Parts: sequence; structure tokens; C-alpha cells
Amino acid sequence: MPDLQKLYDAVLSGDRNTAVAVTQEAIATGGDPLELISKYMVPAMDEVGRLFECEEYFVPELLLSARAMKGSLELLRPLLAARGAQPVGRVVIGTVKGDLHDIGKNLVASLLEGGGFEVIDFGADVAPEKFIAAVQEKGANIVALSALLTVTMPAMRTTIDALKQAGVRERIKVMVGGAPVTEQFAAEIGADGYSDNASAAVTLARRLTATAVRP
Amino acid sequence: MNLRLHPRPGQSLADQLFHAGVEFPCGGESACGSCRIRVVSGEAPITEAMRAALTSKELEEGWRLACCADASGPVTVEVEQWSMRVLTDEASVPIEPRSGWGAVADLGTTTLVAQLVDLSSGEVLGLETAVNAQARFGSDVMTRVQYELKHPGDLRVAIRAQLGAMLHRLAAGRALEEILIVGNTAMHHLFCGLSVEPLTAVPFLPAEIGAMRFAAGDLAWPGPACFLPCLGGFVGSDLLAGIVATHLDRHGEPRILFDIGTNGEIVVGCQGGIRCASTAAGPAFEGGRISVGMRAGDGAIDGVHVQDGSLACHVLGGATARGVCGSGLVDAAAAGLQLGLVLANGRLTSSGKTLPLSDGVALTQADIRELQLAKGAMAAGLKMLGDGVGGLSLAGAFGNYIRAASARAIGLLPEDVIVEPAGNTALRGARMLLLEPSQREDRLDAITAMTEHVELAADPQFQDIYAESMSLRPFRLR
Repeated sequence: MPDLQKLYDAVLSGDRNTAVAVTQEAIATGGDPLELISKYMVPAMDEVGRLFECEEYFVPELLLSARAMKGSLELLRPLLAARGAQPVGRVVIGTVKGDLHDIGKNLVASLLEGGGFEVIDFGADVAPEKFIAAVQEKGANIVALSALLTVTMPAMRTTIDALKQAGVRERIKVMVGGAPVTEQFAAEIGADGYSDNASAAVTLARRLTATAVRP
Repeated sequence: MNLRLHPRPGQSLADQLFHAGVEFPCGGESACGSCRIRVVSGEAPITEAMRAALTSKELEEGWRLACCADASGPVTVEVEQWSMRVLTDEASVPIEPRSGWGAVADLGTTTLVAQLVDLSSGEVLGLETAVNAQARFGSDVMTRVQYELKHPGDLRVAIRAQLGAMLHRLAAGRALEEILIVGNTAMHHLFCGLSVEPLTAVPFLPAEIGAMRFAAGDLAWPGPACFLPCLGGFVGSDLLAGIVATHLDRHGEPRILFDIGTNGEIVVGCQGGIRCASTAAGPAFEGGRISVGMRAGDGAIDGVHVQDGSLACHVLGGATARGVCGSGLVDAAAAGLQLGLVLANGRLTSSGKTLPLSDGVALTQADIRELQLAKGAMAAGLKMLGDGVGGLSLAGAFGNYIRAASARAIGLLPEDVIVEPAGNTALRGARMLLLEPSQREDRLDAITAMTEHVELAADPQFQDIYAESMSLRPFRLR
């Protein structure tokens, strides 16, 4: 069994190669995938989020850590699926229709994944119908919407309205974020939560999941 | 830059303005008229001294003298001394002499510049500059577009009236043969009264990007006007005119024309073809979103260098430092890197996480992060479009004042490409097109046909290149 502290360090420092190597070795020597995630990767990504919030880390460091974490998760996910393990929650995330800004949303997606959520990432310029389909077909219980332009913020309202129209709004929690979005705007459009940074988004998602229907 | 003031017992408005840093060059004698302020909201009564120093039109527009101003209620004023340095252009250009007068106008998001031109000699006879009247409805293009959606037509009325007044002052009763206007796509749409709806969402395809013509009578202007065509996306005729001014379309070797503003606009090409893009850099270089950010006016730190192992600052107007403008921000980061006060990943090393500059003005960690986001977007665009270029022309006011060595050190400009400050290429290009009417249509058609607009964010590689470009490290294009 490898020294798993190395996995924590690799995720924290954004060293994908080491993260993947340690994970492979751990799997080969019979390591418990759930333990790897909950004891090393989730705390490492929590620490990354904390460093980001206190301005030690910035976007490039966050992206590198996310990449290291993903490298490791790709190896572990099939093992978890084979065991029928349930994620903390299932989040469908995307930047709303008309907006191509991707980076902030990607950071949130990565931190959520690092926090133990299953994340379905539709990318940018996502139409409301795709979110509805994800709720209906994939059982997502959180819909996370991002917008980076004042002119595309109204598409958040449109998306929430479409979720209502489709009759799935009650089943899910909606969280919103992005540079021009405010707590007040979130309340106005009927979202369940708002966070002003990627790290706080994980805390928010955990809180929302506690009150949401399990997938 | 606007200032909000509330009445205080025992202090006149003039006192408060003076304490806020407005200078009274003639010592408050109301003689020089150099301390002009414009009342944006509230009331500041007109005095006899103001009547003597300002025209009735100016008084009507809200202009007052700071040195003898008073108010009984809260007022918001615009301080002329703090307004942006406006870059004009008087370079000698080729001409097909004809009789009469014409004008060109560079309709910027922030500033307006208009020139009266003698069509027989090409000489610039007069100049008018102003802060875009639309600026009170939002400083950036997106906020303006959103305002237009809520209040259709207001911005069109404001800008046509303001530019018209400038042109009438320049023409002074003369009829103008023609007036050429250049500006970005949003300015084009707002001026021409086109629907801005397509500019609010990807793929940002403007409704109409062609030249728009107006008869003198339609605008009540001193002559017929033509707003020159846009290039695509948000890249407008200001860059088209820049291509004309720098002969980008006639070079054998590809070059970059780079305009650093709220949108960093990048045009790359040669006679074989041109590509253009805008990067949503944000307003950091114009002082926006920076805690101590301000425009380049009196009191702005506009230069920072290393002297005897510490930071030495240059303050515009020789006054006490009140903030930092774009060139000072870039310099400060470069000097901070040199002294190890800032790391390449952007972290400030001091325990208090600030970078003290001068007179209590200090940059915060968040300020450096804003700089990284802004310069990262532009550097990413340069890397994606500018591979292997032979040179770079830096257009616009900021490009004229920025120190290339600092910009290279923080990875805003490539370290291996010769950078040439090109001045106000939009205004010069417009004047060149005005003075060579027989070639104009063909040249414009050729340039618009050979130019392709690229949506950088649509490229799957954009995110990685952007993130990598946020670090404060030099980069190369060759």
C-alpha cells in the first residue's frame, strides 16, 4: 500500500502524474476507493477551496488541482460504480444559454466533484431543455447555473421558469453563481441558493442536498 | 470620474472639492477656468465669476468652477481634471485634395474625439474631446447594451446630441462635406439605432455590420455622416480604421494591431488575410475593479520603478498620490516581481498581503488577481492568434503610456516581438479614409472581405491557455 498522504499532497499541489500513480498503486494493492476519496481527496480539495478563499490560490492553481483530482477519480469511479456506491448528490451544471464563459463554472464543477458529488457538466451555452432532461432522465437533484454577463443573467430566470413548466422544479434545488449574480438576484428569480465563490458553492450544495430528495 | 459630496457645516463645496484633490491652478481666483466640474446631480448655483469664465452653453450643461462652488444639498460632480487623457492624432497622411471641410469622430466607449479637417490640405483645423455622455449609464459595453434594452433609444439620443454639439462647435457655421465616424460594434449599434438584442448572447452576431449613412438633416448635424462598417463580433470600425492606419492589409509579414481597453481587441494579419477577436479583459487597465484604481489624471500613480531596492512612484500632476492608473498598475506588478514582493503566480509575499506604493496607496491581493484576469485574457488572445508575427502595433491611449518593458515582464505583451506605440490609429485611419475618397469603398470592401472574426472562448483550448496566461511570466510568440 502506497503512502496515501502523497495523494493528498499531489491533489493539493496540482500534480496530476503523482495523483494518478499513487491511485493506481493503491488500487493494485487493494486500497478502498471510498476511503481514498473521503479521507484524502475530499480533504485535499477542501483545503484547495480554503486556500482559494483566503487568496493564496488563484484560478491556475485551482485548475491544476482539479485536473489532478480528476485523473485519480477517473480510475476510481468504475470501481465505485461496480459496488453500487451512491454519491453525496447528483448535480447538473452549466453556463446558461447565450453565455460562453466556462472557467468559473468548471471550477465549481471540479470542487463539487472533489466534494463527493456526481457532476453532469453540460458546458456553456446550455438550453433549459437540457437541464430538464438531466433531471428527468438522470435523476439530478441539484441544478447549478452560471452566468458571467449581465445580459445573460435573465436566462437563469428563463431556465428556472422552464423547470417549473416541466413540473420538475419541486424535485430539485437550484443554485446560481457568476460574477454579476447577487444574493438578491438569486432570491428574485426563485433560486434556492447563491454563492459568490467556487469553494462556498460546495458548502451550499451540501446544505441544499441535506434538504433535497436523494437521487 | 464622479465625486459624491454632502454639505458639511463650515465647509463650502469648494473646500470639499479641494480636499478631495481638485486643484485650483490659479489659486482660486476664478480666473483660469482649469478647475471645471460638471454637476451630474444636485444643484450648485452659478456665480458671477463662473459667468465670466464659462459660456452660457457650458453653464447650461452643468459646468461650474470648483474654486468658487457651493451647494446646499448633496451633489454629484464630474471632475474634468481627473478625466482620461485623450489621445488625438495629427500625423501627415496621403490626400486627394478637394474643396471644403470634413470631420472624423472616434466614438469610444469612454471618450469621444472629433477633428475638423481641411479637405484641400488635409490639415486638422480643430479638435473636440469629451467623455462619452452614455458613460453615466454604465462604463462598459455590456452595461450599456443592457440599459438600451430597458430604455430603448435613450443612448442614441444622448450620443447623437453630444457628438452633434461637438461637430457644430468645430464647424462654426460651415457646412461639412462629410463626417466619418468609427467605433466598436456596440457604439455603432447604439448610435445607428439598430437592435442590440443579438449582442446580448453568443454567438454575438450583430444584426447589421455595414456602413450606415445619415443625411445632415436627419441628425441636424453640419453635414452628412457615415458610420463605417464593423469587422464582426464586438470588433468595430475603430479597428478597421486601425488596419488602414497601420497598413496591416498591405504587409507581407503578419503583424498584430492590439488595442488595450475594456475589451482588449486583437487584429492579426497581412495581405494574405486578417483575423480579429475581442477579449473580455474587463476594466482593470482603466482603473475599474481595482481597489485604488483610477483614470490617468492628477494624483494617479502612472509609473513605478525600482530604486535602491525599493519601489519609487511617479504621480501625475506632481500631486499627492490618490490611486493607480493602468500604466502604474502594470509597472507596480513588474517592479514587485523584480523585488520578490510579488510571485509569478500572483501572490503577494508581505505578511499583510499588500503592495504599498506611495502616500498610503497600496495594491491588495485582490487587485493583483484582477490584473491577472485582465492580462491573462489578452495574452491568451495574442497567443491564439499571433503565432509567429513580425511586429505589434499598440493602439489607443493606454498603449501610448504603458511601458513595454513592464508589460513584457508580467506577460501582457510578448517579449520577443517589437512593440510600436501607434497612437490613435482609429482617428488617423478615419482621416485617411476621409482624405482619399476615391479609394475608400474599395479599401473598406477589401478589408471587410479579408477579415475573419474569431470567438476565442469557443476554442476548446481557450481555458487552458487563459489559465496559463494568468501567471505573471513573460511569453514569446516566435
